[in-house]
Amino acid sequence: MKKTLITTLLLGMFIAPAFAADSIKIAITGPFSGGSAPMGTSMRDGAKLAISEINAAGGINVAGKKMKIEIIERDDEGKNERGALIAQELASMDDLSGVIGTVNTGIALSGDKHLQEKGITKIITPAAGSASMTQWSKAGVKDLSMFRFAAHDGIQAEMVVEEAIKQKFTKVAIVHDATNYGVSGRDDLLDQIKKQGNKLQVVATEKFNIGDKDMTAQLLSAKSAGAQAILIWGIGPELAAVSNGMAKLDMKAPLIGGWTLSMSNYIDNAGKNSNGTLMPQTFIEEAITPKVKSFIQGYHKTYNVKRIPSPVSAAQGYDAVLIFAAAVKQAQSGDTGKIKDALEDLKDPVKGVITTWKRPFSKWDPANVETHEAFRRADTVMGMVKDGQVVFADPADRKRMIQKTSK
Amino acid sequence: MLKRLLFIRGAELIALAILATIPLTVSNTYVLGLLTLLAIYGILLIGLDVTVGYLGQVNLAHAAFLGLGAYAAGLSVSLLGFGMLGALAVSMAIGLILGGLLAFPALRLEGPQFALATLSFSALSTTVLNEWEGLTMGAQGLSITRPELFGFSLKAQGFYWLCLVLLVLVWLAMRNLLSSQWGRAFEALRDSPIATDAMGVGTYRHKVAGFAFGSSLGGLAGGLYAFNFQYLQPQSFTYDLMVILLLGVVLGGRKSLWGAFFGATLIVLLPNLLSNRLLFEIISGLGLLLAIFAGAQGLKNKTTQPFQAIAPVIAMGMLVVGGYMVENTENWRKAIFALMLFSVVVGLPDGVMGFTARYLTRLFRIAPPDLPPASALDEVLPAQQADSKPMLELKNLKRYFGGVKAVDGISMTVRTGHIHGLIGPNGSGKSTAVNVISGLYAPTSGDILLQGKSLPKGSLFKVARTGVSRTFQNLQLFGELSALDNVMLALKGVYRSPLPLVLLGFARAEEKRAQADALALLELVGLQHMARVHARDLTYGSQRFLEIARALACKPKLLILDEPAAGLAHPDVNVLVDIIKRIHQRGVTIILIEHHMDVVSTLCDVVTVLDGGLVIAEGTTEEVKRNPLVIKAYLGIADDTDVPDVIPAVI
Amino acid sequence: MVVSGALMGLVYALIAYGFQLTFATSKSINFGQGELVMLSAFFSLSLLNWGVPYWLMIPGGLLFGVVLGLVVERACVRLTLEQKSEGWILLTIIFGLLGFSAAENIWGRDDRPFPTPIPTEAMQFFGVSITPLEISVAVGVLAVMGVIELFKRKTLLGKAFEAVSADRDAAELMGISARHTIMLSYGLSGLVAAMAGILISPITTVGPTMATALILKAFAVAVVAGLDSGFGVVLVGIFLGALESLTSFYLGSGWREAPGLILLIMALAVRPNGVFGKASIRKV
Repeated sequence: MKKTLITTLLLGMFIAPAFAADSIKIAITGPFSGGSAPMGTSMRDGAKLAISEINAAGGINVAGKKMKIEIIERDDEGKNERGALIAQELASMDDLSGVIGTVNTGIALSGDKHLQEKGITKIITPAAGSASMTQWSKAGVKDLSMFRFAAHDGIQAEMVVEEAIKQKFTKVAIVHDATNYGVSGRDDLLDQIKKQGNKLQVVATEKFNIGDKDMTAQLLSAKSAGAQAILIWGIGPELAAVSNGMAKLDMKAPLIGGWTLSMSNYIDNAGKNSNGTLMPQTFIEEAITPKVKSFIQGYHKTYNVKRIPSPVSAAQGYDAVLIFAAAVKQAQSGDTGKIKDALEDLKDPVKGVITTWKRPFSKWDPANVETHEAFRRADTVMGMVKDGQVVFADPADRKRMIQKTSK
Repeated sequence: MLKRLLFIRGAELIALAILATIPLTVSNTYVLGLLTLLAIYGILLIGLDVTVGYLGQVNLAHAAFLGLGAYAAGLSVSLLGFGMLGALAVSMAIGLILGGLLAFPALRLEGPQFALATLSFSALSTTVLNEWEGLTMGAQGLSITRPELFGFSLKAQGFYWLCLVLLVLVWLAMRNLLSSQWGRAFEALRDSPIATDAMGVGTYRHKVAGFAFGSSLGGLAGGLYAFNFQYLQPQSFTYDLMVILLLGVVLGGRKSLWGAFFGATLIVLLPNLLSNRLLFEIISGLGLLLAIFAGAQGLKNKTTQPFQAIAPVIAMGMLVVGGYMVENTENWRKAIFALMLFSVVVGLPDGVMGFTARYLTRLFRIAPPDLPPASALDEVLPAQQADSKPMLELKNLKRYFGGVKAVDGISMTVRTGHIHGLIGPNGSGKSTAVNVISGLYAPTSGDILLQGKSLPKGSLFKVARTGVSRTFQNLQLFGELSALDNVMLALKGVYRSPLPLVLLGFARAEEKRAQADALALLELVGLQHMARVHARDLTYGSQRFLEIARALACKPKLLILDEPAAGLAHPDVNVLVDIIKRIHQRGVTIILIEHHMDVVSTLCDVVTVLDGGLVIAEGTTEEVKRNPLVIKAYLGIADDTDVPDVIPAVI
Repeated sequence: MVVSGALMGLVYALIAYGFQLTFATSKSINFGQGELVMLSAFFSLSLLNWGVPYWLMIPGGLLFGVVLGLVVERACVRLTLEQKSEGWILLTIIFGLLGFSAAENIWGRDDRPFPTPIPTEAMQFFGVSITPLEISVAVGVLAVMGVIELFKRKTLLGKAFEAVSADRDAAELMGISARHTIMLSYGLSGLVAAMAGILISPITTVGPTMATALILKAFAVAVVAGLDSGFGVVLVGIFLGALESLTSFYLGSGWREAPGLILLIMALAVRPNGVFGKASIRKV
């Protein structure tokens, strides 16, 4: 008797009381505090925007019943340990339909196994580190419930290296942060340079820590080695420190790097030094179509900001919810397994703000990670910083994206 | 006795039974995950409590030991193919070795300096884990497979039980350690490191051993952590985690196994409590009520200051009000923790378990276990032969402080079995001379011989070990220890079990023996009925006598009494004279520094008079009293407060 | 390169000086000092955004720092000092946590630029490229420390401060209130933190995490120099900053902090009270 009482009490402490059964429960996880919070909160807020739009329209039509979406929010603080616990918590919920989120690749590596074990469908966004999907192909998992909705570092590195070659550089320096994200970005870059015929010579590889403000030493060694361009992989404020340091040392080499160079904390803090920075983007905060316009305005209004802290994260969060909702509708059920099956074979196109998604995922094949990756090379464009805004580096891309989103 | 066992062991058994059976009734992976983490953190915090609680130092390296242990375990599986137990042993060993290596330089430091040294170590180890990519995969992280235990692959449940078993073992080992001489030494060196050294217990040695032991528990927890999460990144083990661990220990209550366990529970559960809005509101509401209640009670009983009573109420009030105003509590997580922690730290300085323990002991008065009968004094303090050979010889001893010549060339001989008086006006160098002899200060020059052999210089600990024991002019008792423990700590020649046996609980017999011996010494000074009283709660006179008993526990050949009668009331002075006579009868040689001339003349065989750091006279009391140099020395110091006491006896 | 490292070192020194001020009077330091730096910087930024002119913003920001310093003293330090416990360590850490969370929610989680009227274009001096902004940081750091030292030596209040630092009990006997002096020291230390925030913000940007890395290094500088070393922190700060730049250039940027840390442990092992600290004699 006592035992059961205690167990009930314990359970009551651990687990949120069950929600009404006529809703679809989606968990949103990510760092909402700490260093990578701008990405986490943008993703979360983008996703919540989509959810409130769906709910305002009455919900998703499932088996003749309108089901609203319930959100469960969990802050992983960018800490692996918290991420693993949250994954365990979510895995133990019986009526959870799916999970959207994760910014830090390390958290995907430490937590996702719990979700996979229980077969809970998860759309990973915006974490781009290659390892969060390749871990499953390496393990030879037959049936995978993890999907990725972000331009993974492989694609991004490919584009960055292409760009450098296109601009006829021969000597480059790689500068990256000391986190999982930066180090795996460095490896992807080196990999791509080899793949694309070793046309670039890496004259310096330099590292910096989160929180470093003085990059002079790293940049000097790049400069003295004669780097014509800096390929960079890092997050936010430190990128700005690099850019400002380059201006101080009078380095004219352009900065090319991962998508995080579009975050406001880079652009604002580097000021005019950020002009000309190039980075692959899945979404550019420019009202190129009415749909995109209403999304951007909706975000600004709802969250009372003048600019989205991380537009890419917000747009991906938004589109991920739309795709998930489409899968629910197709499965006609809130059952996470059925949603997974639907995601692997989405029949109707989904009109998102990034593009119109046509069958973004297919049946998982361990030999081909692309089956659970939504973004292809063609969904990604090169963005460039110009006067405090990210714009299309290539006007042709702009036209192409307008066509794709309005289709 | 039975009641005591029931209460103390009963609580442990019930907790264990609940923890062990939860997985049988609940098959929720999340609950299991939390419980596993609870067990791991329990081990971790018990280890941290050794330095933070018992050694009283802010240790910022514990998270690093967790990380190092985790990597050691992971790598020993992937590179060396070790099994579960092998890997855990490796992680413990890493903690022990690196902990020892860090402790050697770091424990020479105190306070902020120690904190910084440990902080540097932890930053350094993160750097190494991050940069040694060939071995640790650096920031990319190390994936680990959970090895088999005796050929069984452990599922979540089995692994949890393994963690629980290890927690129980650590708990028992720790309890054995704390209830032995080691535990007393830890307490003592926090109260008075000087006295600990002077009793021949060795402050530094115990600190290093304690730190290394705590670190090895950190390593062990690291091994379990590695096999629990199966994925490691260096950034997990940085300053952030360290702060949380420290808060856990303090919140739970320092110097308490239950406190460490409760701290671990808080660390593990608190983040989850916030996930549920309703639960959060209930908890913050209850917290506010508790704060108001406790604050009001404290004010009424005048046990707390107004600030201590009001601040937690304000903090909890902010929490309740904020809880209604803020839209998303998840955004304010850190602030919420901060307010809760603030309330506990201010309102309950002993931590939650410290508070509970005090409350419970008030509710149920549990008698301490009975003491064994006292040993015969002959066994404890065998009579020594008083043959008047030289016991201590000082040869032209000098000690300068900068330009001050506190001791300026003293030569004297103390004969075996004598009570040798050392007198002189204030500032004449008596105390400095004694401090040099006992090793607190190294002499500037000169020689000290004990029974013809050179005495170690400048180390209280080494001098104490050769058989010189002392009391202090300003009392240096271990206030937090009972009178009995004060004496037991100093007891020489009883504790023979090596540390591993102590941890396994094989030191109980010698512990009984030590109690009996210590009681005999307390009897000698008339404090046998005060055995269980905390030293700080004794009367001033009793504290003086306790210091003598403690000094005798070192079984000295030479006992130095530094102004034992200072500040004593007249009846107590008589008792003191009796005590010294009794000690004298056992053949212990005594140096007595005293201002009370009647005490000196009653007791001393020989008296040496110092002035200005030099010997100005030596002989029997009667002889020196008539020495004109002595009379001049005393009369020359007119503003000496002790003069009225002395002059009538001299003239 | 060495110059820009040394410059960061000066900032470490300024924050370290804030530690010294409170340690001198109360033997306690504020582990939430970094959050004080950050909060003051945010507050100053808000002042600017409200249209307060730059030169008026500075006293406003400093005042805010002083107030925060006093709050820390009242809420986190006074009680535990009276109890002679080391609870201040935890309480100041907790206060930092609260400040961090408040900043995250009030000002946002993002790093933001901090405008400055001082030009940031690099100039060349004997082959060293340095910006006027960096020079202003160096001048500001030395000026603040100089002014406070002057205050301590030349004014009555300052002398009371020195007296309490030297011997608290004796000062109390002479009628100097230790409590008020400790309050003063915390107020000054808040002022120093605010100054540090205003000075470095244009270079480092303003964000909730702006001071986390700084503060650990400042702590290191304070302890290595000696918590009672006065201007010793400047030398140690410059040395540590320059050393970091050098190691990251020659050893690889990942190892940037390692030599400093090793030196630090060694320095402490040889001189526990700091390189410029005073040795103490054990007394019984």
